[in-house]
Amino acid sequence: MSDKLILKKDHLTTFLRKLSKEYQLVVPLKNCHGDTLFTVIEDLDSQPPDLVNQPQNSLKEFMLPQQEVLFTYKNSPGDYSFSPATVKPPPTIFFGVRPCDLSAVLYMDVIFLQGRTDPHYLQKRENSVLIGLNCNTSFADCFCNATRHGPFLEYGSDLQFTDLGDRFLVEAGRSRGEEIVRKWGYFFAVAAKEDRARKYQVFLEARGGFARMVHVDQAIKRLREKKVDDSVWHELSLRCQDCGGCAYLCPTCTCFTIIDRPVDNVRGERLRSWDACTFAGFTNMAGGHNPVNAATDAIRQRFMHKLCYDVKDHGRPSCVGCGRCVGICFGGTDIIRFINMACEGI
Amino acid sequence: MGDILTTCVYCGCGCGLYLRVNDGRVTGTAPSRNHPVSRNNLCVKGWNIHEFIHHPERLTEPLIRKNGRLVPASWDEALDFAATGFSRVRERSGGDGIGVLSSAKCTNEENYLLQKLTRAVFKTNNIDHCARL
Amino acid sequence: MAGLATTFGSGAMTNSINEIENAEVILATGSNTTEAHPQVARRMLAAVDRGAKLIVIDPRRIRLAEFAHIHLDIRPGTDIPLLNAMMRIIIDQNLVDDLFIDMRTENYHQLRDMLYRIDLEETAKTTGVPLERIKEAARVYARARKAVICYCLGITQHISGTRNVQSLANLAMLTGNVEKEDTGVDPLRGQNNVQGACDMGALPNVFPGYQSVGNLDFREKFEAAWQVRLPEKTGLTLMEMTHCGAEGLIRGMFIMGENPMLSDPVLSKVEDTLANLEFLAVSDIFLTETAKFAHVVFPAASFAEKTGTFTNSERRVQMVRRAIDPVGHCRTDADIIMGISERMGYPMGHESPVEIMEEIAMLTPIYGGMHHDRLESGWGLQWPCWDRGHPGTPFLHKYYFTRGRGRFIAAEHDPPSELPDKEYPFLLITGRTYHHYHTGTMTRKCSLHNRECGEALLQINGGDAGRLGVRGGDILRVTSRRGVIRITAEISDVVKPGMIYTSFHFSESPINALCIDTWDPLANCPEYKVCAVKIEQGEVA
Repeated sequence: MSDKLILKKDHLTTFLRKLSKEYQLVVPLKNCHGDTLFTVIEDLDSQPPDLVNQPQNSLKEFMLPQQEVLFTYKNSPGDYSFSPATVKPPPTIFFGVRPCDLSAVLYMDVIFLQGRTDPHYLQKRENSVLIGLNCNTSFADCFCNATRHGPFLEYGSDLQFTDLGDRFLVEAGRSRGEEIVRKWGYFFAVAAKEDRARKYQVFLEARGGFARMVHVDQAIKRLREKKVDDSVWHELSLRCQDCGGCAYLCPTCTCFTIIDRPVDNVRGERLRSWDACTFAGFTNMAGGHNPVNAATDAIRQRFMHKLCYDVKDHGRPSCVGCGRCVGICFGGTDIIRFINMACEGI
Repeated sequence: MGDILTTCVYCGCGCGLYLRVNDGRVTGTAPSRNHPVSRNNLCVKGWNIHEFIHHPERLTEPLIRKNGRLVPASWDEALDFAATGFSRVRERSGGDGIGVLSSAKCTNEENYLLQKLTRAVFKTNNIDHCARL
Repeated sequence: MAGLATTFGSGAMTNSINEIENAEVILATGSNTTEAHPQVARRMLAAVDRGAKLIVIDPRRIRLAEFAHIHLDIRPGTDIPLLNAMMRIIIDQNLVDDLFIDMRTENYHQLRDMLYRIDLEETAKTTGVPLERIKEAARVYARARKAVICYCLGITQHISGTRNVQSLANLAMLTGNVEKEDTGVDPLRGQNNVQGACDMGALPNVFPGYQSVGNLDFREKFEAAWQVRLPEKTGLTLMEMTHCGAEGLIRGMFIMGENPMLSDPVLSKVEDTLANLEFLAVSDIFLTETAKFAHVVFPAASFAEKTGTFTNSERRVQMVRRAIDPVGHCRTDADIIMGISERMGYPMGHESPVEIMEEIAMLTPIYGGMHHDRLESGWGLQWPCWDRGHPGTPFLHKYYFTRGRGRFIAAEHDPPSELPDKEYPFLLITGRTYHHYHTGTMTRKCSLHNRECGEALLQINGGDAGRLGVRGGDILRVTSRRGVIRITAEISDVVKPGMIYTSFHFSESPINALCIDTWDPLANCPEYKVCAVKIEQGEVA
């Protein structure tokens, strides 16, 4: 990130309005029920972005929707044909993306674009511009400092914003970000030395401001050394009530299942739909055998994947520390509880 | 694309959930963080509630039995048929010859209207629902 | 619901769901909470994590029992002896809340006299639970400052259902565990709007708001509002209608969003009734087993396609909002009802659900302050809510019971009508599974639920299975005196020897074909939880 620029907060709405003329704009919005969700914004004046609360959903919903049509098929006498899904996403800017969620998109890039390319993901990803916002203060359940995905993001976004009080420090990351800065250059001033110093100060404060101490590294080490007792898995599996909520809300849980669904007597569609490794049916085999004992090991795969396999494959955990699974589990089986249990007695 | 907050249709917990609407179709579900019951999570039934809404087996037009088979009919035909059918039973057997099962799946407003129909029009108190099942 | 209505005066959860989290002791009985009411179970586990004590009464070792400090695995149908034993122990150990009984209740002497007559050893033997464990449970419950009882259909779907509930109410009153926040007796309602359907008078004996149809004042009020004469005779209950048979009183039926051909006991009787009706109209979103008998079927809009309100288990009236237009040519049930009414010479003329709710609020005191504009902002309101200025009521019976004084109604053991014998040696319990809902009309359309749970499974204890040579996945033929079904076996130590368990969601294995058609004489609730069956291997001939 070479150029450091300044955008006055007063000009943010104007800037977003300009962007919204050429892009579909997705920002965290606080709705009339008090919930903050990433939403396609239609009217900037009546709905200012909520940059205070953590959005409840992540960008996964946009890149890998809960349910999407992959193709449709027709099977009538003499006509057996397939046609690709026709919906093409409009060019979209995601504004106000926190480091955890941005890291999650980078992780999804690895899953869906490295090696074999997933065309459905690629289509949406190609059409998106990510504008990140660093976190000056942590939210109640965050621990991205421990997973090393935040609170500030060093690379990966197209533009990266840091809140400096009355202004944003803006850094262009990728070429699309640079394009935007070039095109709407009159919004930006070059950052002064004090602004850069201020950013570093804010970063230090943010890093020291986490409410939770979560020993992610310790847990990873314990898992790798196979020192996590089976009783931990058993207790957590017993508590897991099979809702799938942790995987659905997790910005990096990318498992999906494929469903063929008839539309009428001759036509049908192939869908992909979110799945979760905590479901017993996830590992059920055609013959009826299930290698995973749901009663004792339902959640082993989830935590092993996040904290062990992904560290081995990609160098860091795929848990980005957003804390969305914390406090929502019916049985209290969240990743923080697991990490605490895994590290007990150290 | 929009998120509409509504109330889950399964058990008695009454979770608040968002239906994600895309081009007139419900394509997903999300919990509400501030809802006093849901508290940002749903059970597996709630999370997948959108699946039955557009199921191909949904009834989409009225059906009338003709020659022993249920065949498609217009709304006017079907409603006339029902009104005639109930009027005939009421004439022959009295209001108490009609029985009505209301639904714990329908809204309060609909349950209210159905008991009103039963009592004021069918002239009977023979109305119940599956509270006991 | 008759149980709580006669003791407390109000047949609904006395607390809010969130209050359960703050209780010191939770007694869960006849409720497979983790599967049937996950959000309630979430509060129970949170309470346990916080140090609360959990007592589970259930014949099966359900998942909740794994977290219980005390699991009372009673013989099915022996709830009353168990509760009576607990109450006797509480009296013997002087853990009674005298002041509460004195100030707030009546008829205590009847209960006390009855309890003094019971023999504890004998009673414990009836329930199959060691007396020591019952004693411990009684002490833990009685000593709590804030104790919540949660019960569900495992209590009510017995021949003694109402008296089971009354006994739970007795237990709560005996120890003063009502009237306070985080303390009370909570029936968990099985369906999203079963509470609302009751509140709205979809019952044979009451107008909306539990105003008796036999009461002249109430009847006159509704006659004036609806400008029509109204019948005063109490109507028939669900099973009196669906079981009336070919020669019965019921000649025509209107069934809205229900599926008695799968949900009611002794399906052959239901079929005999439905198949012989002069006229049957069904309104539903799918062509259900019941709709196949109809003369006319209306395609109804689903919950995503209409606006209105649902009332949840904790009496919270909440908005249902229309997200999409009705699919195909579907219409809302409100439109269908008004269409029929108009054609029968009684145009109702409500233009919107808002207007309907205004009429409800006017005629139903407990819904007096429920208006859509108020429900829109915030998270709904809990009844009773008397007027526009009323904030709603999170917990009931503060300062006084709805009926004035809480009434003790003593109950004695009434064994199930059919117990296993030589010919039918197994005791069948029915219930629900986590992935499916009621008759599966909705959940069975969802691929994920079908993958997770694609067929009915008959839980059978490993010992019994070994004796019969049954292995998991085997096809079994289960026969009762009323019917026979085909079902797949699942070996499970959740059930004890001599007991089998399955769910009623699957039309391929319609377990209600086996159930006995006896019911609780007070609430007309069928005895789904106990009947005797035999098991054989192989297909149904």
